[in-house]
Amino acid sequence: MVNLYQNIVDYLKNAPEVIQFLWALITTLILIICSLILYLKHSRSRLRIKERIQKVYQKKYESDLIEYLYAGNEDNEISVEQQQIVNYFKKCSTNRLKRKLIITTLLKLRNEISGETADAIQKLYYQTEMMNSAAAKLKHKKWNVVARAINELTQFEIKEVHDQIIQLINHPKREVRKEIQMYLVKLFHFEGLDFLNILTTPLSEWDQIQLLEILQKFDDQEIPDITNWLNSSNDSVAFFALKLAKIYNQFEAKDAIISLLYHPEKEMRIEAIGVLSHMGAIEAVAILKNNFDQLSLDEQIAFFKMMENMHEAHDEEFIIPFMNHVNFDIRVSAMKIVKAIEIKKPNAFKIIPSEKKYPENTALIKAS
Amino acid sequence: MSESRKILLAEDNSILSLLLKFKLEKAGYDLIIAENGKEAIEIIEKQKPEIILTDVMMPFVSGLEIISHVRNKLDLITPVIVFSSAGQEEMVLNAFNLGATDFMAKPFSPNELVIRIKRLLQ
Amino acid sequence: MIIDLIQYFFFGFAFTAIVSYILLAIISAFETVDYMKKNSFVNYKEILSSSISPSVSIIAPAYNETLNIVENVRSLLSNHYVNYDVIIVNDGSKDDSLEKLIKAYDLVKVEYLINDQIQTKPLRAGVFKSTNPAFEKLVVVDKENGGKADALNMGLNISSNKYVACIDVDCLLLEDALQKMVKPFLENTDSKVIAAGGVIRIANSCVIKDGKLLDINLPRNLIVRGQILEYLRAFLLGRMAWSKLNGLLVISGAFGLFDKKTAIEVGGYDTKTVGEDMEIIVRMRRHMEEQKIKYKVAYIPDPLCWTEAPDNYKIFISQRNRWTRGTIETLKKHRKIGFNRKYNTLGMISYPYWLIYERLAPIIEVLGIFYFLFLLINNNIKWDYAIAFIVLCYLFTVMFSIITIITEELTYHQYKKKGIGIRLIMTAFLEPFTNHPFIVYAAIKGNFDYYFNKKIKWGEMTRKGMSNDSISKIKI
Repeated sequence: MVNLYQNIVDYLKNAPEVIQFLWALITTLILIICSLILYLKHSRSRLRIKERIQKVYQKKYESDLIEYLYAGNEDNEISVEQQQIVNYFKKCSTNRLKRKLIITTLLKLRNEISGETADAIQKLYYQTEMMNSAAAKLKHKKWNVVARAINELTQFEIKEVHDQIIQLINHPKREVRKEIQMYLVKLFHFEGLDFLNILTTPLSEWDQIQLLEILQKFDDQEIPDITNWLNSSNDSVAFFALKLAKIYNQFEAKDAIISLLYHPEKEMRIEAIGVLSHMGAIEAVAILKNNFDQLSLDEQIAFFKMMENMHEAHDEEFIIPFMNHVNFDIRVSAMKIVKAIEIKKPNAFKIIPSEKKYPENTALIKAS
Repeated sequence: MSESRKILLAEDNSILSLLLKFKLEKAGYDLIIAENGKEAIEIIEKQKPEIILTDVMMPFVSGLEIISHVRNKLDLITPVIVFSSAGQEEMVLNAFNLGATDFMAKPFSPNELVIRIKRLLQ
Repeated sequence: MIIDLIQYFFFGFAFTAIVSYILLAIISAFETVDYMKKNSFVNYKEILSSSISPSVSIIAPAYNETLNIVENVRSLLSNHYVNYDVIIVNDGSKDDSLEKLIKAYDLVKVEYLINDQIQTKPLRAGVFKSTNPAFEKLVVVDKENGGKADALNMGLNISSNKYVACIDVDCLLLEDALQKMVKPFLENTDSKVIAAGGVIRIANSCVIKDGKLLDINLPRNLIVRGQILEYLRAFLLGRMAWSKLNGLLVISGAFGLFDKKTAIEVGGYDTKTVGEDMEIIVRMRRHMEEQKIKYKVAYIPDPLCWTEAPDNYKIFISQRNRWTRGTIETLKKHRKIGFNRKYNTLGMISYPYWLIYERLAPIIEVLGIFYFLFLLINNNIKWDYAIAFIVLCYLFTVMFSIITIITEELTYHQYKKKGIGIRLIMTAFLEPFTNHPFIVYAAIKGNFDYYFNKKIKWGEMTRKGMSNDSISKIKI
């Protein structure tokens, strides 16, 4: 054994430098691999423990929360049992993992119910002082900690931190700005949308959908004047305003939308056609019909979609030639429109292109 | 009342189920919880609850399929209350087409749910 | 002299390969940390339930899938996304798949105007929809057999949605798959996202019941274990880094989301290649580069799609053989972009990397072995160099695999059960023997078949079943 060791040492000592280097590398790699394996083992067992803690505590917190909710007195005072639970949660919330579990538990219930139970959960959030700790995190150095804190404060609808949060509105990180926008809209509804006036960064489609979803949950649908946003130099704000116009049927903004038919961005013009069609703005039909040849193909398709709902009998002459249009969507729309006009006419006769298989009335189904 | 009346709740949010269980048991009902649609259908077939509460969106077998199963395959007239989240209007319409009795949008008030159940069971 | 040159060549190749692996690993580490931070508090709930979320069609071609088709479709229908439909394209199956679907989902034939923007084989029995409102999202199309690409093209024609998710019908999609995949399309404001690729995870030995993944296990079979490691390496380290560089060249055919308009604009899937999933991405990217539009191919590293991997050498080799031919065909077809500055990252980094370290690597490796044998016969081997070098390469491979396993643990941690960790490490040591030689063999065979055995291809194109067919190039 000693001999073998001695041999190896001798071999390496006498070997060329390249070989020595290679074996040095090999030894390093072996050491790295061993430490990686140890690290892997360690992190796996740590994760397993974490998971076990999570399971146990989640159950515990759930039943504690239910107990808290049912231990309340008739008179709004906090009962002894409740105080015990508050203290317990307060103690647990100093641990990051446990705090997260408690928050998840509270929100899991709060998001599904309304009324006094929801208020009670809210109260618990204050009593356990988790609200304070979240607000304190707004000053944290790491952007993801800040974003998560705003997210949490949004979900619990904490209005008191508004002034603190608004200071971060121009945060360099997109994710933080996004959380702030959600906070503003969720808590201050349409008023919260005021940030759109000063927004210079693009509002992504994803953000727009999230904001609209939040807005749609409110009962008060008193929407402010959107013409400013429609004319915004920030295209994404204008797109967002178009969506608002459609969802909330903003007839007052009709003229502003019609002027978007001349917008330099094609997508904007198409979107505007869609919204006008939805609003039944008949004057848009005339404008587009007159300009038809100048329109891009996509706009023409959008126009025909619009005509499906807004055609009049005298449009037939205009439409008929398009039944043989090269574009499929235009062809289908034209056929639908002509058919609809024919049905309304007295003594209707059917014009069905002989070789095309033309589906019967309602059978025109599209996958959607 | 000799035996409390059975209600089935199909809902994958464990803590909501727990809350409703407390609430309804306090109101004198017996609540059976199913965590997914498949379980719910088994319970419906075996235990014949008098009222079914179900979320429209659930793992694997959706609330819609539960209704469809109850109305079409089992031919039962058991009242069904559907819970939906915002944006699932279309699903709610489908639920009514399939024969749902009532629906509640989340977030809902548990007290209101109890009132509706009482009324349906009268 | 010549011998020295040859040696330098092999050393150089190995050395640059190792360096590129290290670079990719570092980039992916940064990207992974960033991804985890950004997505740790995203609320997917709003998007999932929103009726204004963009519409998505899942297109799943099926060929002779009668055994599992009903269950598979059910799993596809249970996705938690509001605005989507499922288009099953029955590609001229000879079994009773269609009848089974009709019976299980109360299907009736409907009249359906199809916008045939891409040429495909004609319909056979037609288009079907369900009379049961619970399955209103389902569309079944029965067409003449034309191969997977042709079936996908039919799906593209049928879909009226903005995005299409092309998947293998036997894949298990997790419930939140669509919303996670659609996110990059909606989120990017500075460039157009044309496609997003998902991760494929291996479902062998996992318990799947009623279209849900109930329990994740590590299979006993060594080939499958080796593939698990290979997939992890490819997806967690390789693709993550490539997506950061915006140089992704493939999206797994088993699960990818596309901007439908762009996919149709470039003419859909190529029916003349066995590597249609790689080819379409290269073509779409090339199209965007030529149009000079800023674009991105996104990548979502969450484990969203699970599928069975081949568990015997015969199928394994034929699968890799096909992938090799797919790669050769794609690279050949788009030779123009290689080393062409006009194509930016695509031409200067992605293409060359694929050509050298994917396409040519097995050939160079085999040449290296021949060279070694040649020296052996001539008794010309410097054994101390050879041994040290081989040990070094082996250890490097092992280390790389273990880093992958650690990454998996720290991010998605899917293999939670006790004891799996040690078995994965064992796999890292064994994989170079249990899988690698067969991959090289299959690649060589693929090259041979491509150049000397043209007949094979055509038989496969039309008749071959689709499962296990398109998990697609997973190497990095």
